[in-house]
Amino acid sequence: MAINQCELRPMGKPIHRKEDPRFIRGQGRYVDDIVLPNMLYMSIVRSPYAHAKIKSIHTEAAYQVPGVKLILTGEDLEKLNLAWIPTMAGDVQMVLATKKVLYQYQEVAAVIAETRGAAADAAQLVEVEYEALPVVVDPFRALQPDAPVLRDDREKQSNHIWHWEAGDREKTEEIFQAAPVVVSQNVRFQRVHPSPLEPCGCIADYNKATGKLTWYVTSQAPHAHRTVLAMVSGLPEHKIHVISPDVGGGFGNKVPVYPGYVCAIVASLQLGQPVKWIETRTENIASTGFARDYHMTAEIAADESGKVLALRVKTVADHGAFDAAADPTKFPAGLFSIVTGSYDFQQAFVEVDGVYTNKAPGGVAYRCSFRVTEAAYLIERTMDVLARRLNMDPAELRLRNFIKKEQFPYQSPTGWTYDSGDYEKTFKLALEKIGYHELRKEQAEKRARGELMGIGISTFTEVVGAGPSHSFDIMGIKMFDSAEIRVHPTGKVIARLGVRHQGQGHETTFAQIIGEELGLSADDVLVEEGDTDTAPYGLGTYASRSTPTAGGAAALCARRIREKAKKIAAHLLEVGEADVSWNGEAFEVKGLPSRKVTMSEVALAAYTNLPEGMEPGLEATYYYDPPNLTFPHGAYIAVVDIDKGTGAVKVRRFLAVDDCGNVINPMIVEGQVHGGLTEGFAIAFMQDIPYDEDGNCLAPNWMDYLVPTSLDSPHWETDRTVTPSPHHPIGAKGVGESPNVGSPAAFVNAVVDALAPYGVEHIDMPIFPWKVWEILRQNGVTE
Amino acid sequence: MKNYSGDFTIPVSREMVWDFLMDPHKVGPCLPDLLSMDVTDKQNFRAKVRVGLGPVRGAFDLATTITIEEPGRSASMSVKGGGMGSGVDMSAKMFLEDLEDQEGTLLKWTCDVVVSGPIATIGGRLIDGQARKITEQVFENIRNALISSKDGVAVANEEAE
Repeated sequence: MAINQCELRPMGKPIHRKEDPRFIRGQGRYVDDIVLPNMLYMSIVRSPYAHAKIKSIHTEAAYQVPGVKLILTGEDLEKLNLAWIPTMAGDVQMVLATKKVLYQYQEVAAVIAETRGAAADAAQLVEVEYEALPVVVDPFRALQPDAPVLRDDREKQSNHIWHWEAGDREKTEEIFQAAPVVVSQNVRFQRVHPSPLEPCGCIADYNKATGKLTWYVTSQAPHAHRTVLAMVSGLPEHKIHVISPDVGGGFGNKVPVYPGYVCAIVASLQLGQPVKWIETRTENIASTGFARDYHMTAEIAADESGKVLALRVKTVADHGAFDAAADPTKFPAGLFSIVTGSYDFQQAFVEVDGVYTNKAPGGVAYRCSFRVTEAAYLIERTMDVLARRLNMDPAELRLRNFIKKEQFPYQSPTGWTYDSGDYEKTFKLALEKIGYHELRKEQAEKRARGELMGIGISTFTEVVGAGPSHSFDIMGIKMFDSAEIRVHPTGKVIARLGVRHQGQGHETTFAQIIGEELGLSADDVLVEEGDTDTAPYGLGTYASRSTPTAGGAAALCARRIREKAKKIAAHLLEVGEADVSWNGEAFEVKGLPSRKVTMSEVALAAYTNLPEGMEPGLEATYYYDPPNLTFPHGAYIAVVDIDKGTGAVKVRRFLAVDDCGNVINPMIVEGQVHGGLTEGFAIAFMQDIPYDEDGNCLAPNWMDYLVPTSLDSPHWETDRTVTPSPHHPIGAKGVGESPNVGSPAAFVNAVVDALAPYGVEHIDMPIFPWKVWEILRQNGVTE
Repeated sequence: MKNYSGDFTIPVSREMVWDFLMDPHKVGPCLPDLLSMDVTDKQNFRAKVRVGLGPVRGAFDLATTITIEEPGRSASMSVKGGGMGSGVDMSAKMFLEDLEDQEGTLLKWTCDVVVSGPIATIGGRLIDGQARKITEQVFENIRNALISSKDGVAVANEEAE
């Protein structure tokens, strides 16, 4: 299946991943593997209450533990102006709690000691006296006028954070008033957590002699972290060196700045020693960036033939105690306005309200570009509700409403310009490949026998490649991305990129792009990322942005090198530059293909035999600001069987047909799809972070927050169509998030389809067996 | 907040039950897994108890205050404290009634419990069962203590005869 890295013209081939040998052999190097001389360890004291006044904090007993060096509280940070720091969403957030706590597991104090054990023991002895305050966990309750105001530090004395809308309210209203068919559905996308295998952590190492801070951190965006640190701490940016070593999964969780990071840095600045902080699993789930938690209502106006006319969406977004969502500044609800999906609506109106509650803050776009998952889930669920109302096959309804291939570039009613797509082709391939019509026949036969089988369809349009600087930023920093390529004299290449992979396979993917552009093999190219002292400035890896942004930068940077190489080739071939052409592997004299020089030969000449007056060397840097986002799409179909006795859902088949434009490494794309589908499966059937009415987080561990194993996961079938992005240098679109965006709706649609004979129109995720069993029991199907 | 309630009968007089319940030295040892206790006065005592709920294990330091609502008939008790980064806040009420056949006392109780921290989250699924078990054990212990003291009284009386 996989092929050797030495292959020339590597683009589009399933080349072995360069990173696998070290990961498979356990020779990756993660933050917690790094041990520095004189290193200290930090442990954090956290609040047991979801909402309480802090009356006092006593650290005397904790200081008695042998090896304790420093205990930081909010008061200590206040003196440094670091008790509160800005969030990416324009809010402020506490680093260590001052005056009161706003969610359970909130950071209250940090203990630094000589060993990890001593730090943890001493943390237990920090005495904090709390006075409990009324807790608000329900965002709808939080919006009531008599609800306790949680954030009394804000000028606006209300739990309402912001209101955001897209589309045309009046025109949408008009269509709804005249429409013959209107359906409405409430849908909750529950609070979930990215839960990377490696939790968050860092080592802050401040050298008092050089004044340089070296910060090892498990980061998806090292440059952005460096800039934020410089802004917040006042340390000069060139004296902050951020190193993100191997990262054990990110999924959005490693984009924000967490209080533990700030505490470790402050401690190292004060003590002049390296300070390591690695969080526990519970700390990771209960206090770092969660995802989703959207309460949504969708209405579709349609005619009797099933043609959709307008869409209206109202959403309450539970942001927890601080609005620390990782969204571009201009989009408080992220790219949620892509909610019209793959369908040609004349009008749409979307509104979202952000709300504070006593829950952990920091909404991240878990394997999704800024709330697209919520949007795709909502529209795909509601389309099925419409199909049911019209008594129409859900596949037929979708076929009638797709944006047609000749409509691209397509202007969506909420303001997006879809670059390209052929939805009908992808969908028809999926229907054919899974044998849709045969499955419907089988379902009818099974129903007649009293068996429960469901078929769920989801077709989606993703919006990825957060990059165009006209729309996207992190705290004002524009979201372009970059590549720097150096060709050495022997024709071997080192390339550095501004993104930072967390297992996606960049070392192979980008080597393939650069190898293809330079006429080399992937083996000839070493890709380095994650060191801010060497890599060019970039905004990191998340939101499926690496290939659309840094992939574009890598290709254009290589082409810049090829321009210079062509001049050198002309010199070597002793012809004019106009007489030289590039054949993909070498420069040749036009009309004389036997006279050619390879890139390796040119590279040596760049250092040894140059045309007169030319600058030696063969390297380039490119900062790529994409003109638009890219819009991958796909069609997913799930087939489920339900056990009538237990309510357990078995996913018998699942087919994912993706279109992510031109593919660089099909094996890596398939791997990304498998991973994303497994996560989507977990969200649909296993995962939720519930809170009780006292604000206790009820699933802060892997006993209660379930992570699927290979035994739980269904067998995945995949296929693809290719519709290149017209504006991307290599026609690629990005794929990492598509399976997580597209699959939850397919699973839920399948379960609802199986239960449709009992009048079921919707079930909120996660679909635990007891929920299904309860429905079956109410209908007398099971006892 | 969780609410628990229940009732049970003790085959001794209401006065005896009341006197027992109002004496921290007698009630304290009825707590299961009691490690140590320290009686401040008739209304207040501190108790250290061992707690094990799933993966969360350690000791809780609890401050208990008893308030008499209606002498001989009803009292309330507040228990506040915690440990291992967790907190517990209990507010219990007890009502005593004479049984109709004069053969003993009916004790009704209600209890509101707020727990916070790892004990509520990591052990969350286990709390209900465990709370019921502990409560049952407390009253079982009280009942046994009262019965044995009654038997003790009876034996003493027999000896006196």
